[in-house]
Amino acid sequence: MVFTIPKEGTTQWLEKLLEAGEVIAPVRGPCGDVIFSALRSPTQVLWDFENPLHPPKQFVLPQTDPLVKIKLNGQRHEVEPIHDDAPRTLFNVRSCDVKGIAFLTRMHEADPPDASYLRRARNLTIISLACTTPCPAGFCVCTDSGPFLSAGYDLQLTDLGGSFFAEVGSEKGEAAMAKAPELFRKAREDEVTDRTALEAVAKTRFGPETCHFGSAMRRISTGRVQDALWEKMGDWCLECGGCNMVCPTCYCFSVKDLRQNGAWVRCRMWDSCQYNAFALEASGHNPRAHRKERMKRRFFHKASAQYYTRDSMVGCVGCGRCIKTCLGSTHMPAVVAAIRKGKWHE
Amino acid sequence: MLPVPTTCPFCACGCGFYLLANQGGLVGVAPSETHPVSLGRLCARGWSAHEAALWGNRLRQPLVNRNGKVESASWNEAFDHVAGRIKELIAAGKPVGVLGSARATNEENYLVGKLARAGFQTNNLDFCYRSICAPLLAGLEDVCGEYTPSVSLNDIESSQTILLIEGDLATSHPRAASAVMAAVEKGAHLVTIAHTKTQMSRLGSILLPAKPGNEGEVIDGLLAAVLDLGPEDRAAVEARCEGYDALREGLKSVKITAEMRQAAECIVRATRATFLIPPVSGEGPPSRREAAALATLAAVTGHLGRLGSGLLPLLARNNVRGACDMGIAPDRLPGYRPLDDKETQQRLQDLWGKKLPSAPGLDAESILQSVNGLIVLADNPPAVLPMGQRAMAALGKIEFVVALEAFLTPTAQIAQVVLPIASFAETEGTITSMEGRVQKLRVATGPPGEARPGWQVLAELCARFEVGASYSSASDVLLEVGQGSPEYASVRELEDGWGGVGVTRGPNGGKFRLGVAKVPPLTPAEGAYVLVRDGGYDWGRDPLISFSPTLSRDYQSQRKLFPNGFVEMCKQDADVIGVHPGRPVKLTSAQGNAVIPTRVRTDLTPGVLLVPYAFRDHLASVLGTHSATAVKVEQA
Repeated sequence: MVFTIPKEGTTQWLEKLLEAGEVIAPVRGPCGDVIFSALRSPTQVLWDFENPLHPPKQFVLPQTDPLVKIKLNGQRHEVEPIHDDAPRTLFNVRSCDVKGIAFLTRMHEADPPDASYLRRARNLTIISLACTTPCPAGFCVCTDSGPFLSAGYDLQLTDLGGSFFAEVGSEKGEAAMAKAPELFRKAREDEVTDRTALEAVAKTRFGPETCHFGSAMRRISTGRVQDALWEKMGDWCLECGGCNMVCPTCYCFSVKDLRQNGAWVRCRMWDSCQYNAFALEASGHNPRAHRKERMKRRFFHKASAQYYTRDSMVGCVGCGRCIKTCLGSTHMPAVVAAIRKGKWHE
Repeated sequence: MLPVPTTCPFCACGCGFYLLANQGGLVGVAPSETHPVSLGRLCARGWSAHEAALWGNRLRQPLVNRNGKVESASWNEAFDHVAGRIKELIAAGKPVGVLGSARATNEENYLVGKLARAGFQTNNLDFCYRSICAPLLAGLEDVCGEYTPSVSLNDIESSQTILLIEGDLATSHPRAASAVMAAVEKGAHLVTIAHTKTQMSRLGSILLPAKPGNEGEVIDGLLAAVLDLGPEDRAAVEARCEGYDALREGLKSVKITAEMRQAAECIVRATRATFLIPPVSGEGPPSRREAAALATLAAVTGHLGRLGSGLLPLLARNNVRGACDMGIAPDRLPGYRPLDDKETQQRLQDLWGKKLPSAPGLDAESILQSVNGLIVLADNPPAVLPMGQRAMAALGKIEFVVALEAFLTPTAQIAQVVLPIASFAETEGTITSMEGRVQKLRVATGPPGEARPGWQVLAELCARFEVGASYSSASDVLLEVGQGSPEYASVRELEDGWGGVGVTRGPNGGKFRLGVAKVPPLTPAEGAYVLVRDGGYDWGRDPLISFSPTLSRDYQSQRKLFPNGFVEMCKQDADVIGVHPGRPVKLTSAQGNAVIPTRVRTDLTPGVLLVPYAFRDHLASVLGTHSATAVKVEQA
């Protein structure tokens, strides 16, 4: 089902969406950065923007995620789950991030399902804005996660100039449109053609970043990457963990209890597989004590055939955030290229 | 959830990020692509900056120890008690002292300095980390007349040659390491002077090995190699520098290796070269000499005073520069002016309405050992000072200790009065990075319990000592800072957004004073083993790390596994001595002996035994007051 909404109608539509719950959208932050934030008014939302560096995964998987409250009642411990049931709409989110959330949801649905994550994901409506111009560092075309999507969204918008083309992907998407049904009308044949043309043009407009996962995957999966290469690349990583933090598909965490008002709150926190103590055992043994081992592990998870088979996609959506945030120079395209060529900085 | 732009509380690189908070408090950190230093990047510490304020053992209400019993008190009672006791001590002619902090804001440091000088009438004023970086700053002043850096982190990225005296830049200053990496990736020559084959030295094109404490000698070799190349235009050098002939004479007998010649060529040929020097807690004279030699090298090769070229002292804690600028030193006034600088004295007396004490005060170690009353602002001396646990013992003997702290540190635990202050995430104020960039801290969430912003607490204490002024915000304090030290006058009200303001001292007008002092080397001649206290800052005992679940893991696991500490040695040495990894060795020096477990590394220079700063107390008997000493090593 395809519809259109005139541009001047979006404010009214957003007002309706805001009545129903929190609307998270890219806005201009206090220091000029584009950031995802809860809208206070429909006019804050940005329509022409480069994807925020901080990904929207924080709204399904917060950096600090309180899971249960533990209270001491006499001699007994009482455990009370913490539910975040707030209905949220993620608005003007980009294709790569939609694919990222789909990846996270598949992972958290797997046995045993993660109730806390799924509660947030179920209450989240994703209204995406297809990328008619890919972002400069993006390479989503290499990971099949953009610039336009064919699934994964609840509603996909495309900027047609005077109006937005709206593709419904789910019942939640239909419900979002139904908040202001008078603003939407069925798309005409020429509008469908325009949308298809825009997608074709967008695919020709990518920047210089590419990521050839195919041949890298063959080498990674069969252990044909030389140890010396991992070691060399390891020296160009500063263990900041930034690649994990901004990655739309990274979900590793650690758990820590927080003392708060006479109770303990068990929190799940983002963690990074690149940190030295990430896999450290209580015995003192560290199975991945060296940077090269941690890096090897990361890229095996991201781009091996073993994980590709399980997840039916590589652990990368081509958003290019790791390129921007890497404190060293071991971001996804650089490492994949090195693995493919068998050499680094030569 | 509204992101709050603020400045990183860890090292002195001066990164910025957004703190994310909801009704329950801090929840995370988001990077900023528009921040002029960070440019969208953060290190591991930055990414977990919100954790310590949230998880930390926070101080929530004023505590007063009355007759051995710690009781909570109202703010008014606590202020009365502090003012009463300190006034008693001063009236009885007993010495009192004040410690500022490299992790407090400029405003807090300024007020604590005002409290000491105008309120208590004493120059017993210092901050613990200054004893570590003071020799370095003095060495730079010897040559340049000032210690301030002449390059920024962004300049490093476009350097053609980088000379790095390596501690472990990748972990001490990841943002600076990132800039070095970017330059190397673009083809820059990286020359490292190091005793360990660290990550940065592996990236470098030239490694000049040096025994710890003897880095200055390697720089002498570089200087001799540079002079040997015959610097281009002698007249040009003499126009900028004085002491050229004496320098030449002094370097006559210095040995030059082939690597030194190669490195010298890289430095001389570069149109843009940067010189990076970390302050390590070595001993005064060698550190000062090392810094002076490096500044001399930069000056004689024309890289001082040239745009995009220059020196950058790598300060460990975020506001070391600011604390120095606020005059937190026993012999300096705000602006880091000498104590006897008449103009500054007059300006401060007019501003504060009090005559200032003229005799230089005691430094941090001496303050701990000789005062009867002590105010400690946001610091834990035993963790920072080289004297380690002896500082704890000294603190325990002081009659009256007042701690202004956000966290329950060992110092706060033994203080007679605890005044709970806001952490970096809960207060306004400014921080001056090692580049001289003054940036804002902003309030992301409220302080816990009854804790108050540090500047408010200090302003109230000043008022109780009749040096009050009415400040309605931290910006008001900053305004006064600008009246006291003119280079901060331009900072005033920082605009919204990142908008950091750079403070510069302006050209000193004079020439660079070249020179290499003769200081006996710390390390003994070939053949003997040398035990060295690693000089890197002990982040593991900084409350912002030790209270952070993610950041403390590494340090805690190391301390758990080695409750008696360890000493590191290279594989060859371990084989010769016949000691297995983890097994103890007995170390004997002229000072004494100790038995300690070993950790074997493959990247250390043979003959060097390294004890991490965190474990220095375990070898206090062997090291004595030295940072390096010759030792006999045997199986225990």
